[in-house]
Amino acid sequence: MAGTKEIQSRIRSIQDTMKITKAMYMMSSMKLRKAKQKLEDTEPYFYGLSEEIASILYHFPDMQHLYFDNRAKDQKELVKKKGIIIITGDKGMAGAYNHNIIKEASALCDGAEDKKLFVVGEVGRSYFLNQGYPVDKDFHFSTNNPSIHRARVMTEYIVDLYNNEQLDEVYVVYTHMINSMKSEVEVEQLMPLKTHEFLKHEMKEHEKQGQSDSDISEAEDWFLIYPSPKKVLEKLVYNYVTGFLYGVLVEGAASEENARMQAMQAATNNAEEMLKELSIEYNRVRQAAITQEITEVIGGAKALKKKKSKRGET
Amino acid sequence: MDTFSLKIMACDRVFFDGESRMLVFPVYDGEMAIMAHHEQMTTTIEVGEIRFQLPDNTWQNAIVSDGILKVEKNEVHLLVYSAERPEEIDAFRAQAALERAKEQLQQKQSIREYHVSSASLARAMARLRGVNKESIN
Repeated sequence: MAGTKEIQSRIRSIQDTMKITKAMYMMSSMKLRKAKQKLEDTEPYFYGLSEEIASILYHFPDMQHLYFDNRAKDQKELVKKKGIIIITGDKGMAGAYNHNIIKEASALCDGAEDKKLFVVGEVGRSYFLNQGYPVDKDFHFSTNNPSIHRARVMTEYIVDLYNNEQLDEVYVVYTHMINSMKSEVEVEQLMPLKTHEFLKHEMKEHEKQGQSDSDISEAEDWFLIYPSPKKVLEKLVYNYVTGFLYGVLVEGAASEENARMQAMQAATNNAEEMLKELSIEYNRVRQAAITQEITEVIGGAKALKKKKSKRGET
Repeated sequence: MDTFSLKIMACDRVFFDGESRMLVFPVYDGEMAIMAHHEQMTTTIEVGEIRFQLPDNTWQNAIVSDGILKVEKNEVHLLVYSAERPEEIDAFRAQAALERAKEQLQQKQSIREYHVSSASLARAMARLRGVNKESIN
């Protein structure tokens, strides 16, 4: 059994650690609230954009464009140059958050032949660089406090590479926050835009509308795009990619803070439990020491008494 | 005069949601106006100032960045990165952004960097124009 001094210093060190985890918990819960608010604010814009792309595609299904996957040239190419955008955190201490993303992303990378990695966040960046993956070193962004400006610069970077045909496909690996308890890593194809997917979505919408008001006249299907579908589409793609990246950044930040909050909560709970056990042990050790001292005193006194009585007899 | 429902969505908030009589906005070759019962249309909108008339005949201004506009069944949806009222704009920040963008444009840049800085130059100029108009009135 350890002495009282050792236990006491142990208790003190755990208390200090607990102070830190508590403070981190408070910070991340505050940041989480902010990130969640941002996520909510950006939702109407984002859904509006994807609806818009869907409706243009619905009215011009035979349009062939660099941004769609239905070009004859693309279908001939066998090996696709893949760009993979990975959203990780800037700092550790967030439970399994970074680990989950890295696992998913490296599985995706190992399956691709010709690839390039665009890693956001320091943790993932240092991991993929150390492991010798082809990471684009100029693509250097932080995940802390996402802004639309950062998303815009990122879009400019990615779309430029895509337009020069240095990339054929762009994927995003990010953490989707389902609710405050659960989040999941997801892989999404960002470019080229999948025509089928959008079309299906739009078909469903139309069916729903057709059921509710069946008297949509033919004339209303007439669709004016000014100045031209191509021009509008080009702008729309920029906006869509920017909006998507922004959404992904915000969601990543929210899930990171959420994971950190949970990890810190668990750490604080563990520390409390350890403190409880240690304080019991400390009391026991102290009590044992006192008891021992008392027995020693009593034993000493008894021995003295015996000696005295023995002397009296003789 | 008839009205249409107007919804202006910026990426960080819903800027405006309500009835309007007329909306004037910048397009790539000038300005365009939309009134009630406009035909179905999709178009792009440039960085600049939009004006819309409320049912009580007052006009409201906003500075917007580039985006998309959709008209459908007497509903107008405007999707932009950012939308601000003139009084919300920080003139000093806009001025600083303008100077920064100008300085960057003078340096040798890749096409990509050129796109970014010319876009931020356009935004800074639109903001400053909006603020100056406000202070004159």
